[in-house]
Amino acid sequence: MSTRIAGLGWVTPLGSNMEDVWQKLRAGEEAEASSLGEGPGEKQAWAFRVAPDFIAEAARHPRLRRSSAISRFAVVAGLAALRDAGLELDAAAAARTALVFAISNGGVIYTKRFFHEIVKLGAQAASPLLFPETVFNAPASHLAAILGITGASYTLVGDGAVGVLALQMAEDLMANPELDRCLVVGAEEVDWLLCDAYRRWRLLRAQPPIEPFAQPAHGTVLSEGAGAVVLGRTGAVALERIHPGGNFSRQRELVRHLDEIGRELAAKGPTDVLLASANGTFVDAAEKSMAARHFPEATIYTAKPSLGESVAAGGIWQVICAAQALRRRELPPLLGVPSDFGLTSRKSDWTRAVVTVCGMNQQVAALSLRV
Amino acid sequence: MPDSLKTQSPTQFARVAVVAAGMVSPLGRGLSETLASLRTARDCVSRVTRFSVERCRCTTAGQVADSWLEDALPNDRKSRRLHRVSRMVIQALRELREQAPEFRPELTVVGTTSGGMSFGERYYRALQGPNARARKIPEWIANYPPQKPMVDALEACGLESPCQVIANACASGTNAIGVAFECIRSGRYERILTGGYDALAELVFVGFDSLQASTPDKCRPFDGARSGLVLGEGAALLALENLATAEARGAEILGEVVGYGLSTDNHHLTQPHPSGIGPRQAMERALASAQLEARAVDYINAHGTATPFNDAAEGRAIAELFHRVPVSSTKGMMGHSLGAAGAIEAVITLLALRHGFLPANINFRAPDPELALDIVANAPRATAPRVALSNSFGFGGTNASIALAARA
Repeated sequence: MSTRIAGLGWVTPLGSNMEDVWQKLRAGEEAEASSLGEGPGEKQAWAFRVAPDFIAEAARHPRLRRSSAISRFAVVAGLAALRDAGLELDAAAAARTALVFAISNGGVIYTKRFFHEIVKLGAQAASPLLFPETVFNAPASHLAAILGITGASYTLVGDGAVGVLALQMAEDLMANPELDRCLVVGAEEVDWLLCDAYRRWRLLRAQPPIEPFAQPAHGTVLSEGAGAVVLGRTGAVALERIHPGGNFSRQRELVRHLDEIGRELAAKGPTDVLLASANGTFVDAAEKSMAARHFPEATIYTAKPSLGESVAAGGIWQVICAAQALRRRELPPLLGVPSDFGLTSRKSDWTRAVVTVCGMNQQVAALSLRV
Repeated sequence: MPDSLKTQSPTQFARVAVVAAGMVSPLGRGLSETLASLRTARDCVSRVTRFSVERCRCTTAGQVADSWLEDALPNDRKSRRLHRVSRMVIQALRELREQAPEFRPELTVVGTTSGGMSFGERYYRALQGPNARARKIPEWIANYPPQKPMVDALEACGLESPCQVIANACASGTNAIGVAFECIRSGRYERILTGGYDALAELVFVGFDSLQASTPDKCRPFDGARSGLVLGEGAALLALENLATAEARGAEILGEVVGYGLSTDNHHLTQPHPSGIGPRQAMERALASAQLEARAVDYINAHGTATPFNDAAEGRAIAELFHRVPVSSTKGMMGHSLGAAGAIEAVITLLALRHGFLPANINFRAPDPELALDIVANAPRATAPRVALSNSFGFGGTNASIALAARA
């Protein structure tokens, strides 16, 4: 029995309503970057933030009273995906639901606050209220509690590829006939500390725009939010194939992995849409080369100029955009690409999409969707 | 095992063999040293040396000596940059590969809670001090992510495999083994590398101290006067393979993973439901997955952190489900290694099944009158266990239990 996409939800810097955000992307809107203030790293950090209004629903849940932003994003996106799937989980349905959570940087805001007190004041000042929220699986725990999930709940950590790896785990879990569905959520929050780290790693641009596929690469801009996908037994879009990819420590290994991924996924049939992870960094050139070689007919899209680079959430956003493209047979305009960028077509009777996720810390994976 | 102890006739599921294992922990480097420490019930907990613990209630932990990791890698520039937890994983993978050089995993599923956390700490401290432009900062950032140690180890050993890294707090290692087991049992995979790793980090150490979960005393699992855990560190990896395939190629079988159960206890982020329902469900589901009666279980390697709440919940669940099954927590000897604990304890349990003894629950003085348990107190017990459970429970209410069986 094939695994299908039954519901989608997201919290993004452009909003948290699936249709509203999609229309904004179609209109070519870009989220507005805001300054995160200056850390001791002396450079000002800019990122795409989620407005409090977009997650107002989180205030209804007492469990989130002390939680970090990342948990709120995750809960709002997860609940939206379940609503999109037409599901309200009672105890029996929750028992047949698994949760797989993808995360990269995790609860960086509370982690920084917790450690800051240790550094400045000493171990005796460490807060027992903050520490539990620093744990990678705290957001998944809050979401599971709110949904009443008492069975499988896994948090996966990784780089930008972790969203697809989480979908791979979810698909494996769905081999268990006792499960009806799996909710896959990717979430991140931003902080100046994160921006400082990515800047020192030479992956960050001081301010927008993100210019995908530009040569030389100018760097990316971080963002925050969450994406959620309900995998089930029914739904218009099928998860055709997940390619778990591999690990790379050099650019040439990334190129080799992408070539293998491209060859394998292209062999399964014509690809109409390619959702790339291009974000203005070193991954863009490798993806462009793979696209030209294996998916020359595909329309290429990345939402990162509009939504920013949100790592674990970003990978799920890509899958959401691919599913939306197949559901709606339309894609928003690709922003910020060089004028000579020739990898787009205007065919619209789309039936198949490929998503590639190239992380910035050694992991790469991909998947294909089909209607 | 006798059919009378099975709840159902065998199904079409594939059986899952452990064909190799490797580990490094405070108990020693490798399976042989670990076995020797277990046989002598060695207390491997000592005063923390990696960072200052002057202002902490708890000052001890189980620690892996750096000298054990020195030959994990060549002394080149790239290797010197790696976090010591990467070296632990490499050490464990090297040992595993010596037993099964032909083992090529299709997938790697491992658990951790904090990976190279101490590099993140160094980076933050540098930002707060006069070293905000420290030359090593990009190295620390690049080697800090939690998936990095496993990726480093695969690369160091010339293996290619996609990695799923589970961060389910203290249950991560057992969850990883359980997921790997189910993937092979379902027939979707033939060979999976699994396990867990974590290194001591100041942030985590102080975090447990702030919760008063760690103890200034000895770690005394299930003792009536237990007062908390001590942390530990290490790495353990297991090579899981479809039993039929492994037998066909003549592989040595260390044991079998026969069941896996998990539950999510939504009671509290850091505390189990006092009724023990979370641990109980995980163990019940592991038994159901293994198609075994509770009386088939000869030994339980308990999570047994020695915190009053955790041991009470787990002890209650064990007492309700099993009739005087021997129980021990090995954390008194080596500390609680968080994301690595489940994997290290799975290997310890395999060693117990293979070598016919039950590891000791050290530092035990007097039983908890609330818990009717058969604790393997202070010294290993000679016996021939056939089936054992290994439990891990973590923050976020994650509970996991795996069932392991001796090779008949």
